[in-house]
Amino acid sequence: MRALAAMSVANIRSFYRDRASLFWTLAFPIIFVVLFGSIFSGGSTRFSIGWVDQDGTPAAQGMRAAFEQVPILGIEEADEDAALQAMRDGELDAVVIVPAGLGNALADAGEPFRLTLYTDPSRQTASTTVQQIVNQVVGGMNQRLSGVPPLLAVDTQPLQTQNISAAAYFVPSILAMALMQLGVFAAIPLVAQREKLILKRLGATPLSRATLVGSNVVMRLLIALVQSTLIIGIGAALFGVTIVGNIILVAALIALGALTFLAIGYVIASYARTEETANALTSVVQFPLMFLSGIFFPIEFMPDFLQPVAAVMPLTYLGDALRQTMVGGAAYVPLEVDVLVLGGWLVVSFLISARFFRWQ
Amino acid sequence: MRDVPATEPVISARDLAKHYGTVKAVAGITFEVGRGEVFGLLGPNGAGKTTTIEILEGLRRPDGGQATVLGHDVARHPDRLKERIGVQLQTAALYPNLTVAELIDLFGSFYRRRRPADELIEELGLGERRTALTRDLSGGQRQRLSIALALVNDPELIFLDEPTTGLDPQARRSLWDHIARFRSEGRTVLLTTHYMEEAERLCDRIAIMDHGLILEMGTVAELVTRHFRERTVRFDTRSELTDASLSGIRGVSRVAHEDGEVALYTTDVPGTVGALLALGDRLGIADLDLAVRRPSLEDVFLELTGRALRD
Repeated sequence: MRALAAMSVANIRSFYRDRASLFWTLAFPIIFVVLFGSIFSGGSTRFSIGWVDQDGTPAAQGMRAAFEQVPILGIEEADEDAALQAMRDGELDAVVIVPAGLGNALADAGEPFRLTLYTDPSRQTASTTVQQIVNQVVGGMNQRLSGVPPLLAVDTQPLQTQNISAAAYFVPSILAMALMQLGVFAAIPLVAQREKLILKRLGATPLSRATLVGSNVVMRLLIALVQSTLIIGIGAALFGVTIVGNIILVAALIALGALTFLAIGYVIASYARTEETANALTSVVQFPLMFLSGIFFPIEFMPDFLQPVAAVMPLTYLGDALRQTMVGGAAYVPLEVDVLVLGGWLVVSFLISARFFRWQ
Repeated sequence: MRDVPATEPVISARDLAKHYGTVKAVAGITFEVGRGEVFGLLGPNGAGKTTTIEILEGLRRPDGGQATVLGHDVARHPDRLKERIGVQLQTAALYPNLTVAELIDLFGSFYRRRRPADELIEELGLGERRTALTRDLSGGQRQRLSIALALVNDPELIFLDEPTTGLDPQARRSLWDHIARFRSEGRTVLLTTHYMEEAERLCDRIAIMDHGLILEMGTVAELVTRHFRERTVRFDTRSELTDASLSGIRGVSRVAHEDGEVALYTTDVPGTVGALLALGDRLGIADLDLAVRRPSLEDVFLELTGRALRD
């Protein structure tokens, strides 16, 4: 017990005196939270529309007023060339052109009068949304002008869904990523300690291997606690992402995740002979985990051929479990399945490293 | 060729062997080390010294023969003996981001019996560096720290693997003083070295190893006497003294020319010196500068292994 405490303290000291590990495990995830938060929360869903009125009649002004009533549209009046240039420069999302003759056309009621709408098809969401809004507004005006009462109408009812905000999606994701890195990166000091014969020197003392591994687990779990507190705290303070689920359950999942990835770190350390190999292997492991596990975007958005890959990644399940319990996000699989898959990775990784890890 | 020390052995190895693949690192060695002895394994790199010492430390399992250390079988109860031995590995292995005092305290926590860190820091002259990170220590300080770690459990038996390799002469001498002190404190020391001078100065007994085997074992005087009954009488080459006249001198078995000197190999030093001086008188040589040399451990080594032991 005394040796376990002393080894844990020594590990923690070694850790916080190593600037690089401090940066990657604490500063890096925080930078990620702040960066992602600013990018995704800052961009509100509001569209700027250039309004080119070549008609100038009260009818055209009435139409503009109808558009101005749509809350997510910002209307900016300009001439055609200026408006199109502004759209090319990215200042406008779309341009509506009202050609001269609108007033007369409405009075005559012959052929339909045509407005022109410029949208950017490469920005699919924006262009579709703007098209729908424009069609809706124009449709409403058609109806009023023609005087035919609507035969069908839709009543909207509010219903709480599991569609969570961008910030609520990525805070658990970044926590999962940080826990993954904490565990996987453990391989590097382990291999370094073996390479420098520190593990061998310890082997010449009565210190048991269980105590040695135990002290590493204690240290990593403590760091996981600090990391989680920081990430969750910043998520709550800056982006209002609060934990809606059971905090004990969240803590247990954090511990399970930290242990699973630490075991994977030991597997890497079992195969890497030099510190350089360990560095390379952790990158080889962590990047696919990060980008193919649905922690940055839902798995359904991935190409079909990558979805089976995501389905075996342990990080997928840690992200999913944390998202479900922390912010009530939509489940990829039920929570029990998340726990089972993570537990499976933990057991298999433990067995592999117990068999293949070399102390000298 | 088994030298049994008078006291009960602290280390007893019999037919000890260890293979790595097809390489026989240790090919069946037998020796004993008595309580309070400083015993040296002397040999070139790759002789099997480190493998031998690591088997006795409980770090490697032998795959032939057996060994007991402080009464414990090294293969069956390595944990029991680790509690009572002090170990210094060939490459000083330390946590780079811990201080001297922290590291000594850490190692102390592994043992039931332990000495205060302050005492060890004082003893090894690390007082000024006690709050320094180990990565900032000089080579000599690092070596003294690793000796401090070997002493942290107040061990009866200390293993030192190439303790002075890579040290400057001053640091080497300081380490020799420490090893001499261990003997005066009644501790037993097993050390490996490839420095003749170190072995001659420090060790009560020496085992010369090569290719995984012990070639010869005993005190330095015993080894030399066993292999060389002859001494050499040496003097600067003089043209008046021809080989023919020298070989007729009493006791001389061989006349050799080594490094500009004449070397007369003899088993009767007083007789040879007397006859040589008389011969000089007759030829009118008054200033013959004589030296008598006993063969050194190095000569024994050369004789046994056929190669010089230098790094």
